[in-house]
Amino acid sequence: MSAIRGKGALIPFQAASGGLMLLIVAAMAFLACFALAGALATTRIAATWTEGLAGAATVRIDANEDDRARRTSLVLDILRDTEGIIDARALNERDVAELLTPWFGGTPDLGELPAPGIVAVTLDTENEPDPTVVQARLDGAGAGAIYDDHGRWRGRAAKAARAIGNLSWWALVLTVLAIAAAAFLVISIAMVAHKGTIEALRLAGAEDRFVAGLYQKRFFWLGALGGLIGSGVALTAFVGLDALSSVRAALPMLDAPYYWPFAWLGIVLACALVAVLAARLAVLTTLRRRG
Amino acid sequence: MIQFENVGFRYKRGPEVLQNVNLEIPAGSFQFITGESGAGKSSLLRLLFLDEVPTSGRISLFGRDVTTLTRDEIAWFRRRIGVVFQDFRLLDHLSAAENVALPLTVSGARETAYRDNVTEMLQWVGLGDKMEVRPPELSGGEKQRVAIARAVVASPDIILADEPTGSVDPAMAERIMALFVEMNRLGKTVLFASHDLAMIEQYKLPITTLRDGTVSSGMGAAA
Repeated sequence: MSAIRGKGALIPFQAASGGLMLLIVAAMAFLACFALAGALATTRIAATWTEGLAGAATVRIDANEDDRARRTSLVLDILRDTEGIIDARALNERDVAELLTPWFGGTPDLGELPAPGIVAVTLDTENEPDPTVVQARLDGAGAGAIYDDHGRWRGRAAKAARAIGNLSWWALVLTVLAIAAAAFLVISIAMVAHKGTIEALRLAGAEDRFVAGLYQKRFFWLGALGGLIGSGVALTAFVGLDALSSVRAALPMLDAPYYWPFAWLGIVLACALVAVLAARLAVLTTLRRRG
Repeated sequence: MIQFENVGFRYKRGPEVLQNVNLEIPAGSFQFITGESGAGKSSLLRLLFLDEVPTSGRISLFGRDVTTLTRDEIAWFRRRIGVVFQDFRLLDHLSAAENVALPLTVSGARETAYRDNVTEMLQWVGLGDKMEVRPPELSGGEKQRVAIARAVVASPDIILADEPTGSVDPAMAERIMALFVEMNRLGKTVLFASHDLAMIEQYKLPITTLRDGTVSSGMGAAA
């Protein structure tokens, strides 16, 4: 063994405080992965819902059977004659029955139900028509029909998904803050134990940033290792969830995005970076407080 | 190089330890500081290695008023001052060599650049065979010599020693004293605090005596 080991040996770090920090960072990284996955998934859900409902509209024709065929034909003529509408197609009875099946628990008999006529409309997404203008034209022709471009549903669905996504991002921020707070606390406690050593370093001419550097190096590795363990466990959990066909079928938007290795690496680096910054802040604050 | 102008000092709300101290120590000189226990010798040295600031008056070090120094400047100034503490202040988890290397390590020097220097220093104080030994396994005299080697390894301009012979036998005290005289011959300014008047009067060197927080100057009897 060399008689002089260099800077790394100057502070006698205790295994216990390192283990505690490692455990906290690993737990936080695990939670951060779920928060990040939640945020990404809800963002994708919002996009899926919005995109899925975009470019389509529906016209409901009064359930009154009298004159239904003429009014349907009238509606189709008006729609096909409207700029921004690519196609309009009246659904047949079987299509309507399929739409109603989830609410009736079986194929309903439309002969006994006052089901409305439905026209599916395909819109030009680059040039969607003004829904109030289309509705006015339908009303003017006495079609007894209601035009619905799903705008209200699109807005609500996107808003709900965004709200959940925002919560996930906030959870991620809180997780990061928790890592910083844990590092700050662990270092503050460690610095009490290292008081004599730090005093000796300072009397030997060590600048505050030199002392901070000793802790930063240690906490960089603790942060990175904790991040690696926590996110590794989380990834294993994701793979396990993905393997469950029931989960995969129910939540296709939870499919891993193509950039997941970078997200994983990002979490590991973020854990290390947060631990380093917290270490620096804790050391400089404590040294200045001591005078 | 070192100038005290009407310096007063007290610890928080305690009594005044130093009162109106005026002192001028030229570069390259050797100065004994003596006085009874509690006379203020250690406090005077603490002011000099910037561990405390005067409550009144002005201390000038290397041409700067010490109260105007920033934290980084204090660190920089401390690298130009080697200190031998009465209680050694060695780090028990480091080897003797690592303790000696401390001022060089904190200054950012590479271990490969100073390894030979550290070895030479430990040999100079007669501990060349104890490089890897940790302080708890060293005797009081050996710890004192490690502390001396640490104080001089970075070639500081000023060396402060607080009772460096206080806990060793007379033969070791003489040996330690000879090391400080040698450092002074190499051009270092040495301030040597000791209450052992009999020992310091053997040397024909300036003596500053502290009594009730005030100073008087004199000279040792014989070389």
